[in-house]
Amino acid sequence: MIISTNWLADYVQAPGSVDDMVERLLMSGLNHESTTAVGDDTAVEIEVTSNRPDCLGHIGVAREVAVLFGRPLHVPDPRPLEGVGEVTRSVAVEILSPEICPCYTARVIRGVKVGPSPKWLVDRLATVGVASVNNVVDVTNYVMLESGQPLHAFDLAKIRGGRIVVRRAVEGEPFVAINHKTYTLSERMCVIADAERPVALAGVMGGADTEIAADTTDVLLESAQFAPLPVRAAARGLVLASASSYRFERGPDPAMVDWASRRAASLILEHAGGLLERGVVVAGHVACAPAEIRLAADRVGEVLGVDIADARQRQILTALGFVEARGAAPHDHLWRAPTWRRDCWREIDLVEEITRIEGYGHVPENAVIAARPVELSARERTVRRASEVLVAAGLCEAMTRSVVAEEMASMPSPWGEAAPLVIAPPLVRGADRLRRSLLPSLLEARAGNAAVGVDDADLFEMARAYLARRDGDDPRRGPVEEPLLAGIVVGGDFSRVKGLCDVVLAGLGLDGDGVCLGYRPIDLAPFARGRAAEVVLERSGHAAERVAVVGEVAADVAGRLGLPGPVSAAEVRLDRLTFAASIERPLVKPSDFPAVQRDVNLVVDEGVPWGEVEAAIREAAGNVLEGCRLVQVWRDADRLGAGRKSFVVAMALRSAASTLSGDEAGRIVDGVVAECGRRVNAVLRS
Amino acid sequence: MTAVPLDTFRAELERLRTDAEAALAAAGDAAAVEAARIEFLGAKSGRLKAIQKSLGGLAAAEKPAGGKQFNDTKNAITACFEAAQARVAGGASGPAVEAIDVTLPADRIRLGHLHPITKTIRRVQEIMGRLGFESVDGPEVEDQWHNFEALAIPAEHPARDPLDNFYLAVARGADPLLLRSQTSTVQIRVMEKREPPLRIVSLGRVYRPDTADATHYPMFHQVEGLLVEPGTTMAHLKSVLRMFASSFLGGDVKVRFRPSFFPFTEPSVEVDMEWGGRWVEMGGAGMVDPAVLESVGYDPDTVTGFAFGLGVERIAARRHGVEDIRDFYRNDVRFLRQF
Repeated sequence: MIISTNWLADYVQAPGSVDDMVERLLMSGLNHESTTAVGDDTAVEIEVTSNRPDCLGHIGVAREVAVLFGRPLHVPDPRPLEGVGEVTRSVAVEILSPEICPCYTARVIRGVKVGPSPKWLVDRLATVGVASVNNVVDVTNYVMLESGQPLHAFDLAKIRGGRIVVRRAVEGEPFVAINHKTYTLSERMCVIADAERPVALAGVMGGADTEIAADTTDVLLESAQFAPLPVRAAARGLVLASASSYRFERGPDPAMVDWASRRAASLILEHAGGLLERGVVVAGHVACAPAEIRLAADRVGEVLGVDIADARQRQILTALGFVEARGAAPHDHLWRAPTWRRDCWREIDLVEEITRIEGYGHVPENAVIAARPVELSARERTVRRASEVLVAAGLCEAMTRSVVAEEMASMPSPWGEAAPLVIAPPLVRGADRLRRSLLPSLLEARAGNAAVGVDDADLFEMARAYLARRDGDDPRRGPVEEPLLAGIVVGGDFSRVKGLCDVVLAGLGLDGDGVCLGYRPIDLAPFARGRAAEVVLERSGHAAERVAVVGEVAADVAGRLGLPGPVSAAEVRLDRLTFAASIERPLVKPSDFPAVQRDVNLVVDEGVPWGEVEAAIREAAGNVLEGCRLVQVWRDADRLGAGRKSFVVAMALRSAASTLSGDEAGRIVDGVVAECGRRVNAVLRS
Repeated sequence: MTAVPLDTFRAELERLRTDAEAALAAAGDAAAVEAARIEFLGAKSGRLKAIQKSLGGLAAAEKPAGGKQFNDTKNAITACFEAAQARVAGGASGPAVEAIDVTLPADRIRLGHLHPITKTIRRVQEIMGRLGFESVDGPEVEDQWHNFEALAIPAEHPARDPLDNFYLAVARGADPLLLRSQTSTVQIRVMEKREPPLRIVSLGRVYRPDTADATHYPMFHQVEGLLVEPGTTMAHLKSVLRMFASSFLGGDVKVRFRPSFFPFTEPSVEVDMEWGGRWVEMGGAGMVDPAVLESVGYDPDTVTGFAFGLGVERIAARRHGVEDIRDFYRNDVRFLRQF
């Protein structure tokens, strides 16, 4: 809303400078956007919140100024001189849809001379950014900007059949607006029609056929109430927002319907001549039921934490237009809200009115609140721990969009096969699928870095994935789960990303007693075939489940995204691992006895995975096995035989109870070899 | 040769080590160190030499163990002597080695970086945590009740317009799901489950169909605080925000309230904090609207509360001088590595 200070001065004389006034308005609810000199006038742009349509006109803002500075408010009382003809003979108005138009009024002025507006009117409109059209249209705009009540003037000669019909649009009905564009209407919208066709899109814009033109002599002046929803449907649906629709969406003062009509008629008579027909055609009735609100004497103090004197409360409310009704309880008051303040209907609304005028500077800022202990949730601790580990490992945290394009969304998710959920409108152009994995976005982010010459962008992200629930789940819970993922994308091969995945899981406390993590090969895009694994968590009392996937990104995917060099990725489902944040393991006292190192060289078939050998070693050696390191995998068809490989394993053995003797170590190694032989046909290569 | 029990032998070695370590530790100059060396490690009549002789008196089976312990003790005393010698020589230890260019680049490990949005959120969480506010989170895909109705945003409210929200294309009749447009949804969920007193901060991603530009992005982050306790006033709200501002921005920061409008608070205010010598808009706040308290089953006559919300991107952008908030989502590591 732009205010002309010259115009405002018609209603109230603010003491002090424009800046003083702006500051007071700012601190009482009308946020200041800008102040601009326009000729000898000043344009002040203010932000009006949606609950204050009364301030979408100069009079409403003037009322605020009057209250803030304790000045009188002068609102004109227009009494246009009426001629002899009866308006009811010129036009009939029928409302077919009272739910979207409770009240419609029409006045008729005959014999106007359409021409340029007087300078003062052109200037005031120019200050607030409205171009002058002609004296009749300018008056309707002026009165809207004065009262907040939108008006429309029709060329009466072009209204067919002498009838105005207010109705819902017919689905698909065409309408040519003043801007000479044709719009296709829907039944959610409201039109003003004559006997034959729509002549205005109610509350939004007039029609081209019936607009005021240079040769117009008879004017039908509309002032009406329209419900917010049809106006919004038209303004949004047709992308045709106007100053009028903006106001009707917020609800102008119902008492202004007639006032604005009289005011506009007066000004038209004054500046365009003509004769006003007697009376006004009114269809429906103005919907307006002011609320009666009880205000307990101590309520303001209870909400603010500081008292405002009863007399001052009364002074403020009265100045704002509230009327004191008969008293309620002895110390309470009963107030009737003014018609322009339909946002005020409860006690708390009165408290806010009193406070905003008195100023929030009065509210103390040294109140005491009691101490309360708080702790981070297991989920939060899990996220923090995982991010600490990844930051320590040299990765940067990325933040990518939760919604991705279809092409990226079509990449399979490790977490569910249901199709991605679709949103409307798209988050950004083309991105309308809720993601089921972070990896496509992170790969894109790495590619984006490569495109600006940074080839080593190692990234991670902690965010949600959105998976459709399976049929049969409780629909009230909504169809979406919220798995919390840690996505990882780095350069390098499987070993690097597996290492990262391992330390994240270990960092979360998943490498101790009671939990078991196993890597199993999987075949899943975007990973290269044969270079990917799932991490399966087993723990007592729970079914085994996949908690991570890890692998090398397939060359064709990397190529398509423009990723240079080998890229690996992992995704960890943190929401399944938050239990680990609460595990507290007892300390294991380090052994004081010496460790014994023993190496074994185990020859197995090519198909035997290291994991099985390691499991055999760990089980056979038991808890004296302090460390078990794969030193080398060695293949030599001549010496080992074709299809054979050898694992060179370094074991550190240490007992918590005694120094292991050579014999004891030897027996353990023998047991390891035997177990490996039994499980995977390993033989010891001496 | 006299038979020597292993235990006695071990005890002697242990005593010798203790004595040697004490003597060498006490030696204040090169002469004292040399005297100690002769006493303990002397080739002819050192005490170690004397004990070595009794090694022969051990039973054959005990000789390996005894020998090992003798060697361990000798090594320990020798190391102790060398350390003492280095100490009294002063300055660098050991024999001179080839000097290096200490300005050569180091073998640095590369540290990663948390995203500035995460850092800002955690900072807010930590400060609010000290004030007794517990961090909570909730779903990003929400229903009409939690995103709107419980927050006193009725069906005809413009905020519920399909063009102003990201609705899911999942058939649910009159209760379509949407990506939450505010984290106040979490406050409703917590209040539905728990009774006052309550102090929480909800945080996370929210979504609104704004065209992306330097100051808007259709996905952004909010931190919202809620306190519901009997007798809560706007003075408590202002005091908590002032404490927050002073902690977050440093120093004794002033807070200013300007009246505003939000459906779920009444009175509603914009919160300005004094930052860099001027008032900066940090977010919105207010007393929880009685309708909201009623919608979660609280009695507005017995409990009151306040709520506030901060735009994380805006704070982070201002703190770090980021001129275009889209930079937060470009994930350019040259940007990310600066935080």
